[in-house]
Amino acid sequence: MFGEDDIIKSHRQRATQIGYIVLACFGLVVFRLWYLQIYKGETLHEYSVQNRLRKELVRAPRGMIYSRDGKLLVDNLPRFDAVLTRQYLKNPETTLPFLAQILGMSMEDLQAILDKNKFEARYRPFVIKKDLTAKEIAMIETESSSLPGVSIDAFISREYKDKEMGAHLLGYISEITQEQLPKYRERDGVNYRLGDFIGQFGVEQQLDKTLRGVSGHEYVEVDALGRSRKYINVDNLFKGIEDEPSVPGNSIRLTIDHDLQVAGYEALVKEKKIGGFVALDVETGEVLAMVSNPAFDPSQFSRGLTSEYWSSLVNNKDKPLRDRVIQDHYSPGSTFKPFTAIAALEEGIINGNTQIRCHGIFKLGKKIFHSWKRYGDETVTVVDALMQSCNIFFYKVASEMDIDVLAKYTKMFGLGSRSGLGLPREVTGLVPTREWKLKRNGIEWQAGETLSCAIGQSYILASTLQLAIAYAAIANEGKVFKPKIIKEVIGTDGEVIEKFTPEVVREIQLKPTTWQLVKKGLYKVMNNPKGTGWYRRGLGLEMAGKTGTAQVASSSADRIYEKCENKPYELRHHGVFVGFAPFDNPKIAVASMVEHGCHGSSAAAPIVEAVISKYMEKYMPEIKKENEKKQLAQYRFYRQQEEIEKQKTEEEEAGGAE
Amino acid sequence: MFNDTMDTFKRYDYTFFGGMFAIFAIGVTNLYSATHADRAGLQELYMYQAVWFCIALSVGFALSFISSKTFFRYSYIIFIGNVFLLVLVLLLGKIGMGAQRWLAIGPFRLQPSELMKISTVLALSRWFARSGPDRELTIKELLVPLLIVMVPAVLVIVQPDLGTGMLLILILAVMVFYRKLSWKSIWIIVVIAIMCGGVMYKYGLKEYQRKRIITFIDPHADAKGSGYNAIQSEIAIGSGRLLGKGYMKSSQGALAFLPENHTDFVFSIFNEEHGFIGALFLISLYLILFFRYIWLATSVQHFFESVATIGFMAIIFWHTFINMCMVTGLMPVVGIPLPMMSYGGSSMLTFGIVTGIATSFSNSKNLF
Repeated sequence: MFGEDDIIKSHRQRATQIGYIVLACFGLVVFRLWYLQIYKGETLHEYSVQNRLRKELVRAPRGMIYSRDGKLLVDNLPRFDAVLTRQYLKNPETTLPFLAQILGMSMEDLQAILDKNKFEARYRPFVIKKDLTAKEIAMIETESSSLPGVSIDAFISREYKDKEMGAHLLGYISEITQEQLPKYRERDGVNYRLGDFIGQFGVEQQLDKTLRGVSGHEYVEVDALGRSRKYINVDNLFKGIEDEPSVPGNSIRLTIDHDLQVAGYEALVKEKKIGGFVALDVETGEVLAMVSNPAFDPSQFSRGLTSEYWSSLVNNKDKPLRDRVIQDHYSPGSTFKPFTAIAALEEGIINGNTQIRCHGIFKLGKKIFHSWKRYGDETVTVVDALMQSCNIFFYKVASEMDIDVLAKYTKMFGLGSRSGLGLPREVTGLVPTREWKLKRNGIEWQAGETLSCAIGQSYILASTLQLAIAYAAIANEGKVFKPKIIKEVIGTDGEVIEKFTPEVVREIQLKPTTWQLVKKGLYKVMNNPKGTGWYRRGLGLEMAGKTGTAQVASSSADRIYEKCENKPYELRHHGVFVGFAPFDNPKIAVASMVEHGCHGSSAAAPIVEAVISKYMEKYMPEIKKENEKKQLAQYRFYRQQEEIEKQKTEEEEAGGAE
Repeated sequence: MFNDTMDTFKRYDYTFFGGMFAIFAIGVTNLYSATHADRAGLQELYMYQAVWFCIALSVGFALSFISSKTFFRYSYIIFIGNVFLLVLVLLLGKIGMGAQRWLAIGPFRLQPSELMKISTVLALSRWFARSGPDRELTIKELLVPLLIVMVPAVLVIVQPDLGTGMLLILILAVMVFYRKLSWKSIWIIVVIAIMCGGVMYKYGLKEYQRKRIITFIDPHADAKGSGYNAIQSEIAIGSGRLLGKGYMKSSQGALAFLPENHTDFVFSIFNEEHGFIGALFLISLYLILFFRYIWLATSVQHFFESVATIGFMAIIFWHTFINMCMVTGLMPVVGIPLPMMSYGGSSMLTFGIVTGIATSFSNSKNLF
């Protein structure tokens, strides 16, 4: 094992050289330390004691929301919060009571906020009070020397101009919750933090990504009292540090017409009606108006909800957080009859001339089906059956029809499936089939159930939006649209980034006579004195439509003809109405639903009338005037007819007496 | 028998463990200061560090009783085994949840890349000891050592752990220099290395790795904040001035202006609290240790031991030097810990093993 001594000795020189290299290397380190600690030591020491650089998040301003007629619906307003940074809180015994006094809060409340943020890092500011008044801001600013650690943070809050009106449609933003944080981080690939505001409802949620923008950060110098100011270059120390500006969110223009929205909303809230309405452009499927009542004030959410306001929303039995246009579905009642008529006409069960006696009851086996009015005994065609909303006619028709056939035609019009509007939490509605019932109840379909479905009761459920889409399809003779709520996305410099075009989901092919007969029936509903909507025909609207009354609970026989208004509120029927206008060249379709409104004609139709009337006034005033003249002539004609008939019966009676 | 044991302890060289302990003692008190203000979870780090030191010391002490012949005999097997572990880490990372650097063995997480530094030094030493160590090294003879280093280096770099990969190459450089590579060859290699570096930078680096280098050269190009870390570190060091702010008085670190203040940036905290004088003292301790290793390399009896000792010295030296350059702003932040000071079990174990083997070499020299 000996003999390597020489080899090692011959390497001794290199070992020494390595030693020198090591020394030289550390010489460099020591020189650098000398430069930092001795040469620039005073500057850097000053800096570390007096001022500190802090990296702060800069949130992007959220995009605005406009109506189709250019009215600003959702705006951003500055808001000021009082914040506290514990690191700079020098004497809490004096500062905190003083602060509580200025902000008008109790020491207990203040202490509770401090306790809540106990585990936050000491250098991180947290909010003491949101939305300060001008007086509070002035007080804090002037007393800043005796309030070390307290400062004011500017913050942008969301302002919804119309408050409750259209709140469900616009939605709201609020702070991301602890549960949402990991889920949304994964979903969007955005590193959300607590304190970030995201869209939680309506358009704000649907287009959150578009509206939100991208947050940036900036470096601020923090002085010894924890107050930030923009950094100044100290000796080029921060030469290397650059802010990353935030990218503001894009704005959007909705398809909503603000005037129509107001017109319908006023009709809806006038009698504190609970319900909603939606107006669609028949030719494009664009949503022109959409309101649900009761609602909430979305501005409250972005300001940080008070617990009182939140509990008042949650505990309200009228459920103001629900969007009744898309989140709730109801029995469509008689508004469903046109679809039964279409199925019967297309399948050849009836034609335009088929006459059926419309009397009080219809028997199927042992079961008795009632008409909606006790009296009446005349023979009617499908057109008049729609006009008078004769239940017996449709019972008769349905007794010869299979439920699956009815379902086939109904589904074509978009009932029973989501419209694709894109707003969150939309319901599907329900169009029953044999298979569906067997699966759900394990019981075969009963023939009697088809009868109930034919007049829109029983299992059939539709949202107000679905009814509007289906009637728009009747109005335009076959085009079922995917409703649109966003017209365009507008960039920060005002240019249009994205435009949304109409989308036809389905084109329904029916016999031309079928369209004609059904539309004629709907026309007569409004424009014939015998029609159920005669009193809501409006002035110069040339409207076609259908009233509907949805039973809430199946009534016992003795209650069937009891006046709805006399019933307890919860047992009253829902009133439904769907209409479109003008008849010759339909442009707008409106559906409205009023919970426990008793009748479609008296509760829901006035809302539709108001919206359509506004539409005609705004977009086709000449046609409206012409229609008014036509209507007057028609009215005179009916009066004459009435007179003649009256005379006739008087003569007959006189003759009989003779 | 009793005399034998007594003899063993009489000729036992305590200096290596002594030096390691001295630096560890400074490190653990510094760690306590760096983390005492942190939120729950990090405050107990100094305890874990002490536990790791005890483990490292035990392993090192046990290894110091193994003869250098054994290390020589098994050096290739250890090397191949370690490379196998690196491959295993890569495969498990592929199957599992993305990139990993460690293997879980019971409650421990072992980083094979840490041990790879030692295995590579042993394998290289055996090769150098057997390939005519009496002559000057020619460029041709570099082929095998280069292969020995590049296999683990590539495996480590794709983990991706660029820092450790580069470290392996730097260790080889020191050993090759010691093995008397002619100056002419050295210059040729330096030129080639610069050229290769350019190509590597262009094609071989990941985006974030390239960013680190860009940040260093031009801090304006940085938007994500690594420049921010470097500047905060410089403020911390500079604010210590000559004598420092005093123990536990660091403000930059304690207020979490400094990220990673318990791993990569412990030296900044130390400087802030103990100033220029403190830094000189700490650097002197490291230098004493390095010169002890160099002395050992020239006084052992076998060339294998000699080269290996230089390799070990290189491991500790590069860690120390790169880390200090990094936190003082002389080099981009590459995530190399400061030996015996930074928190970290695997790296502590590595230095324990190095110290143990070096002690074994030193003891065997006194056998006669």
